Amino acid sequence: MKVDTFGPIDIAVSGMRAHQKSMEVISSNVANARTADAGNGRPYRRLEASFTTQSDDPVTGVAIQKIVMDNSDFQQILDPGHPQANESGYVLMPNVNLPIEMMNLTIAARAYQANVAVLKRYQSMVETTLELLR
Amino acid sequence: MINLNPNIASLNPTIQPQKTSGVSDDNTAAFKKTVDTIKQQISGVDQLQKDADQSIADLLTGKNEDITSVVSAVAKADMSFKLLVGVRNKLIEAYKQTMQMGV
Repeated sequence: MKVDTFGPIDIAVSGMRAHQKSMEVISSNVANARTADAGNGRPYRRLEASFTTQSDDPVTGVAIQKIVMDNSDFQQILDPGHPQANESGYVLMPNVNLPIEMMNLTIAARAYQANVAVLKRYQSMVETTLELLR
Repeated sequence: MINLNPNIASLNPTIQPQKTSGVSDDNTAAFKKTVDTIKQQISGVDQLQKDADQSIADLLTGKNEDITSVVSAVAKADMSFKLLVGVRNKLIEAYKQTMQMGV
């Protein structure tokens, strides 16, 4: 089997890129946790990044397949003074749950760190190989 | 692409036991082939260095905002350059030892 010297670099970088994007999605969710009107009169819908493999090859990197909407129910909050409040004083708020977003944020950050660790370790592995030339 | 295949014979078919007839011609051809191989390696490493430079320039000028592609380009350039320097040091050392040989 052919060994690709730069394969681990490309795969680790694809992981870093994917988790960076997923962190972007999480930050959008957190920023819009109280957006009652997302421009269409409806509250902001929580987004989630779904991952896929980069190619059909069994050894491959990760890519963002698409960013999907979370279709769970919106939260109802009693706030009669709110401009979007209905007759009974309730406002529809986004289906973003901040503690869950914080959890996902930690997962994304740790996954990013793990990919960086793979990259670093691979670099030191190659350097160890090159020590043999000395 | 740099090939880290440890089997040197497959990498460089020019390193072979020489026949006694026409030794100098064979040696010249073999040497030329080796030089060509090294040239190819150097231009490959040079290309990776240029790619890294370009991606850094693109990042600084704002043409590209993806820092991970810079990391990948720099890591590749660094790795291949280290291999090139290792091979160079080995060659220089071999040359020095040959020159110091007592006749």
